[in-house]
Amino acid sequence: MHIPDGYLGPQTYAVIDVAILPVWAAAASRVRRTLKSRQVPLMALGAAFSFVLMMFNVPVFGGTTAHAVGAVLIAVLLGPWAACLSVSTAIVIQALAFGDGGITAIGANCLNMAVVMPFVGFAIYRLVSGPAPSLRRKIAASGLGAYLGLVAASISAGIEFGLQPLLAHDAAGHALYAPYSLAVAVPSMAVTHLVVGLLEAAVTMGVVAALARSDPALVAMRPASRPLTWLWAGLGALILLTPVGLLASGSAWGEWAPAAVKGMVGYMPAGLQRMSGAWTAAMPDYAPAFIKDPVVGYVAAALTGAALIAAIVWLVGIALSRRDDASPVPTDDEEPS
Amino acid sequence: MIPVFAHIGDEHGRRRSVARRTADAVGGAVRELLQNEDLAMGPGLMQSLDPRVRLTTVLALAVTASLVRSVWVLAAVFVATMVVAAASRVDVGAFVRRVWASAGLFAVLLAAPAATSWFTPGRALVTLGPLTITAPGLAIAVRLVARVAAGAGVGLLVVWTTRWTDIMRALTSWHVPDVVVAIFAMTQQQIVTLMRTVEGTHLARESRMLSEGSTAETRGWVVERMAFTARKSLKTADDVYDAMLARGYSGAWPSIVRLRTRGRDWLWLCGCAAFSAAVIGADKLVAR
Amino acid sequence: MNAPASGPRTVAPAFVLTDVHHSYRDGLESLSGVTLSIEQGEHVAIVGANGSGKSTLLKMLDGLVFASRGNVQALGRPLTEDALEEPVFRREFRSQVGFVFQEPDVQLFCPSVFDELAFGPLQLGLPEAEVRERVARSAEALRLKKLLDRAPYALSGGEKKRVAIGSVLTMEPCVLLLDEPTNDLDPRSQVWLLDVLAEWKATGRTVVLTTHDLSVAAEEVDRMVVLSEDHVVVADGTPREVLARQDLLLQVNLIHEHAHRHGGVLHAHPHTHGQEVV
Repeated sequence: MHIPDGYLGPQTYAVIDVAILPVWAAAASRVRRTLKSRQVPLMALGAAFSFVLMMFNVPVFGGTTAHAVGAVLIAVLLGPWAACLSVSTAIVIQALAFGDGGITAIGANCLNMAVVMPFVGFAIYRLVSGPAPSLRRKIAASGLGAYLGLVAASISAGIEFGLQPLLAHDAAGHALYAPYSLAVAVPSMAVTHLVVGLLEAAVTMGVVAALARSDPALVAMRPASRPLTWLWAGLGALILLTPVGLLASGSAWGEWAPAAVKGMVGYMPAGLQRMSGAWTAAMPDYAPAFIKDPVVGYVAAALTGAALIAAIVWLVGIALSRRDDASPVPTDDEEPS
Repeated sequence: MIPVFAHIGDEHGRRRSVARRTADAVGGAVRELLQNEDLAMGPGLMQSLDPRVRLTTVLALAVTASLVRSVWVLAAVFVATMVVAAASRVDVGAFVRRVWASAGLFAVLLAAPAATSWFTPGRALVTLGPLTITAPGLAIAVRLVARVAAGAGVGLLVVWTTRWTDIMRALTSWHVPDVVVAIFAMTQQQIVTLMRTVEGTHLARESRMLSEGSTAETRGWVVERMAFTARKSLKTADDVYDAMLARGYSGAWPSIVRLRTRGRDWLWLCGCAAFSAAVIGADKLVAR
Repeated sequence: MNAPASGPRTVAPAFVLTDVHHSYRDGLESLSGVTLSIEQGEHVAIVGANGSGKSTLLKMLDGLVFASRGNVQALGRPLTEDALEEPVFRREFRSQVGFVFQEPDVQLFCPSVFDELAFGPLQLGLPEAEVRERVARSAEALRLKKLLDRAPYALSGGEKKRVAIGSVLTMEPCVLLLDEPTNDLDPRSQVWLLDVLAEWKATGRTVVLTTHDLSVAAEEVDRMVVLSEDHVVVADGTPREVLARQDLLLQVNLIHEHAHRHGGVLHAHPHTHGQEVV
């Protein structure tokens, strides 16, 4: 997930590096308010934990191992703002002291792993937990949060990659930085992480469960203000942003034969293609031409996908709340210790 | 970017256990950090410069490398990082190997599809069955690899020649808030402590286990270790806070270490600016 | 050095604890009615098995944890959370009482050894010249001069302990609290530490240390306080008096059945698996 230097052009990294500063400032002021003078050691240990967590080899199958990011786990333990600062600190140290991840790409890496991932993941965790979750439900919620948080982070990285050929090319129209368009980069990142995310979810659930056994106060729910509003706002923004990117890349899409893309990367944009084809086919002949445009089909596909995710989150939330109606309300603990 | 690494086996052909791999990775990282500490405190070109100048140099080179279009000029930037590394008493062979391992190899894998006609149509160079490598595709792929290598080389310069302590001093003198510097300094200290703990527990498992357990069992153990690390982190945060209070912590982190630039620092900065300008100028000529 | 004169009882005692209780958040008691008075200039060891509450007691003397019942006085003034909120008292108390943690990794959090040594004096608001002088003095005394520019994480265990002690000494306290000072120290560093303790005794500083290593306690202190596993003081006297009561030490789990003497020195196997000094 760490983007090295060289993949993102200056237009992208400069904007993100600058845009991340106010996010850090907001997170810092939020953390200072909630943790007061304890913020320094707690953020430092959160960052050190985040750093070390990423180094654990976790067995997947047949001797293969993978690493977890852990941003949602930290968000569950310390809150999303603290997770944002902790993971950001770890990323800066990885880049400057260990040579992992690019220096110009620090902003982008922080945006993906320290902003998108913990906030999306934590929002889903809150949503699925509901107001009075049982432990089992919180564990399930943390897993789903970690899964979708990682997928969201990978989509964010995919968008950053996919924008490169649009933003910068030489006189002949050839990419100067990451060479794949949005239509390739986003799905390949997303699909890969739909698989890798299973491990992230398993690890997050396992650690949350183990901590809950030894010290229930650690995973006590913090009261959050308006969690649902900003969750839906965030999801809405994602849904809106994806088509904007696709519209921008509309011309680039046609350059590549879907079969070749499929063979090469091993994912199924063809599935999406079919969806857009189905869309076009479903439109009556008298519909205005722009509706039949494959780009519109893409937008429809993206909206359908997002709606599907939202529906799953919602249904899982309902199913879990039915089962756990009788569970006791956990105590709130603002400051874990 | 894709956090999955399949480890088929080590150099002896025997597959290392999961615990061994983590122990090796973590122990290796600690050892490298300590080696860098020695290297960065020793003699050398970068080491003789003010830390702020070192950081500025590296940022300038990183930005320059990102602005260049020509593969040849990118290669020249990479060679320049090698020259600076050599002048800083860095083993150039190790430098190149590290750039390859940390970014180069992955860039080659990622760029390879772009060299084919599937992604980049154009004049065919080589055709192997369904696979056709095109001239513009190859140019795109090679450029990406060269750019990533140059960027990784630049990054490695700061990692290998500048201690975390010196970076902290540079940040302080650049008026980065003292709380941020304090968190950074404390994090680095605790990373080393946590990594030593992790290495210890993983080595202990390695020495106890005659054969690797099932995947599920091993994963359960790893997750349990992660939970332990989380608990230890939170406990340590409390202890460190107590230690801060005991030493009179009053909410601020004043520092009385001062950095001073010398003539050679300014000379070097001018040289750097000239190099960047020359690189961008040359690129304009070459990549017209 | 602003060490106070020892001896005459006109000075306020360093610490007075009256029926002090403390319990953790989960309700478990760690101190159950401790009454104790420590005079200035005394060297006291608090011994007890793991879980007896000795570390909690030491932290209480440093105003890091507070009694849930009972009362604590330090240097003639009540030591409470509210009192320490008050900047003038906090500054005075922190400059007079120093705490050396068991784990140096916890106590070292600055970018360099120099910053570590300067941290305390800077927090006390001392002028820069004075801070530099104190750093230089304690670096000299603790053989840290060559390490001043190093990062704490790059030091060996013994060096870290020296820096941790140095970081407290630059505050020039008259009372030193040490939690398990010989734990995890190599034999050479242990000898060095015992020398340092002897030197403090000569300068009249108060020292309170915790240990489960009776041989350290026996050599370097003039008073031993034994905490039982029920978190109360069960013995308080000179090391000779306390060590003579083997039945009691056995009962509080400080020694095993096979504790024995060789060459006049009591050699007790600690109940826990801490490092042994023979």
